[in-house]
Amino acid sequence: MSVEAGAQAPVIEIRGLRKTFRDFWFRPVAEAVNGIDLTVERGDVFGLLGPNGSGKSTTIKMVLGLLAPTAGSVKLFGLSPRARAARARLGYLPELSYLHPFLTARETVMYYAGLSNLDRKTAKARTAELLEQVGLAENANRPVGGFSKGMARRVAFASALVSHPELLILDEPTSGLDPIGTREVKELIGRLAADGLTILVTSHQLFDMQDVCSRVAILSHGKVVGSGRVADIVAAAADKRHALEDYFVARLGAGQEGAK
Amino acid sequence: MKDSFILAWRALVRGHVLALLLVATALAHAFLPKLIRSDGTAEGWREMFVRAVPGAAYAFIAVTILACACGFFAQERERFRLSLTVVRPVSAFGVACGKWLALCAVAATALAFSGLLTACRLADAPRCLHHYAPRLPSTAVCAREALAAYLADPQTPESVKQAPRSAVLSLLTNKELDRYDVVRPKTAIDWPFDAALAAKGQEVIVRVRFATQFERRAPFEGQLTFGPYSAPVKHSTQSVLDIPLAEGTTNAAPAGAATVDLHFANTSGETVMLRPRRDLEILTPADSFRGNLVRAGLQMFAAIALLAAFGLFLSASVSRPVALFTATVAVLVALMAPSVVAQFPDEMDTKFTERFGLAVSRLICGLTSTVGEASPLSDLATDTCIEWSALVRGLLVNVLALPAAFLAGCAVVVRRKPLANNT
Ligand SMILES: Nc1ncnc2c1ncn2[C@@H]1O[C@H](COP(=O)(O)OP(=O)(O)O)[C@@H](O)[C@H]1O
Ligand SMILES: [Mg+2]
Repeated sequence: MSVEAGAQAPVIEIRGLRKTFRDFWFRPVAEAVNGIDLTVERGDVFGLLGPNGSGKSTTIKMVLGLLAPTAGSVKLFGLSPRARAARARLGYLPELSYLHPFLTARETVMYYAGLSNLDRKTAKARTAELLEQVGLAENANRPVGGFSKGMARRVAFASALVSHPELLILDEPTSGLDPIGTREVKELIGRLAADGLTILVTSHQLFDMQDVCSRVAILSHGKVVGSGRVADIVAAAADKRHALEDYFVARLGAGQEGAK
Repeated sequence: MKDSFILAWRALVRGHVLALLLVATALAHAFLPKLIRSDGTAEGWREMFVRAVPGAAYAFIAVTILACACGFFAQERERFRLSLTVVRPVSAFGVACGKWLALCAVAATALAFSGLLTACRLADAPRCLHHYAPRLPSTAVCAREALAAYLADPQTPESVKQAPRSAVLSLLTNKELDRYDVVRPKTAIDWPFDAALAAKGQEVIVRVRFATQFERRAPFEGQLTFGPYSAPVKHSTQSVLDIPLAEGTTNAAPAGAATVDLHFANTSGETVMLRPRRDLEILTPADSFRGNLVRAGLQMFAAIALLAAFGLFLSASVSRPVALFTATVAVLVALMAPSVVAQFPDEMDTKFTERFGLAVSRLICGLTSTVGEASPLSDLATDTCIEWSALVRGLLVNVLALPAAFLAGCAVVVRRKPLANNT
């Protein structure tokens, strides 16, 4: 029944989501997410954009079920994020890809393949294919402890993709990468989107996101201050090249006025 | 579970934990024997060796495994890696089990290595022996009977009658443990033992201990008879007297009886005093030293498996330093609890706080009893056969029941506690 429901339900449905971080004495220290509503439909490349500290990562952690919301609800494929069936259908790339330093690249991807219940033969083939795709085939048997940041990110990418997820959640996939690395990531996102994956991606680098996202929401101080289809935003903009940036600055300004 | 096991195993092997344990064990076996100063006899040396060398290896393995367990979840949590695992369709219990099994596998490998070295060095050790105590009514039953007699006695002071039942009972229980049987000159006494021990054709040894300061070293002479067996007794000055019985009498063990009496006729002119519950045992040969070594190894393994599960539970709940600290304190408390319980046999005049402390100590003793009562090293050192019944009970509790509870707790904590950090 849940699978049936999942087929029609939006991939991600967020309603009235709030998160207040509290210290040891339960005093609030940060209102990281302040009542947001979002819907990500099948096939979207959804950009969750906003300056540092606007609550993007916190939102994603609640979508993944790693953090419990203070209020509001999150539904993944119409299910609770803690449901195993929901977890089986997503891939996640964290902001910082901490890997187990003593594993090789191949073992790392194989480990996550195993956790996603791929059988050994499929996992092997899939791992080889993905390492080839992210350009790590030559370094597959080196421990990831000695990898550069970009290489580690690519291992994490391969791990996120190993289970053929329907939904890919990418937290700042381009941060800390050089321009070439950034372009590679953007191309990869484009290819995955063309294959029909639904992608939720966060970034504070708007210029990069304009060509890959189909829809965006602008987050500021834990609130959605603007959202829409990228095509519409670009159509309405005077400077097409920097359409998203201009929109962002405008909405941010409006959001701050509203807050006053 | 399999993947979690492989990951944890690789962490332990590539983090050189296994190598450390194997090297430390080898070093202990190579150098510690040189430090042993024994009484010169082969048995004395063997006893010292078992307590010192495999003992040191055991302690080192246990501490290392506990320390690793305390860091396992905590490290993964701090480094954000755990969240990458739990967003996958896995059961947290399976993840915890995998880590625990890896710790157990490493501990088992190191223990097996230590056991192998021990077996090589002590290749000519004698067989171990079953130990049987007299089949007396349980101390609790005796204490209850004694209490009933006290209460019925009009001469008993009112204060005793009004004291808390449990306190008086525990006092009487301890008194029963130390009760002496008095055998006057030219009289005899019977102590019941398991009838199966009197089956024809086996070796039977009666062991009498003279360990208390009240024991006189005066003549202990007479005749011991046990079913078809008998032997004369003549005490010299040992503190432990082993009397092998020989087949010879015609009185066969009565068919169908549960117990057969060990009959002692005191032929000397002196009174003999013995505590039947502490000073008297019948020994029969069990299997080889190697068999006993394997069983001792299993008992040590059970204790380490429990420690590993406990450490994992702590590391899932708190950070590594806190987990290490808590584990150290908990282990010390568990080691001290039995002596606390033993030193406060009577609760006659204890205050509430004392009673609370005692209750906690009792609880810890109860939970760790299968570990606390097992003494694999001293049993091995004294050629005491480790009985399968006790061993299996220990394995069920310490390798199955308690770890399952700890790992289930682990799974709950991993699912409930927020996993995200500030990044
Ligand atoms: N574990 C935490 N404890 C307290 N405050 C936190 C925690 N995580 C995030 N925050 C705060 O919540 C806000 C949003 O953080 P985050 O979601 O990481 O922002 P972003 O990913 O958009 O840069 C920030 O002000 C941050 O300081
Ligand atoms: Mg962030």
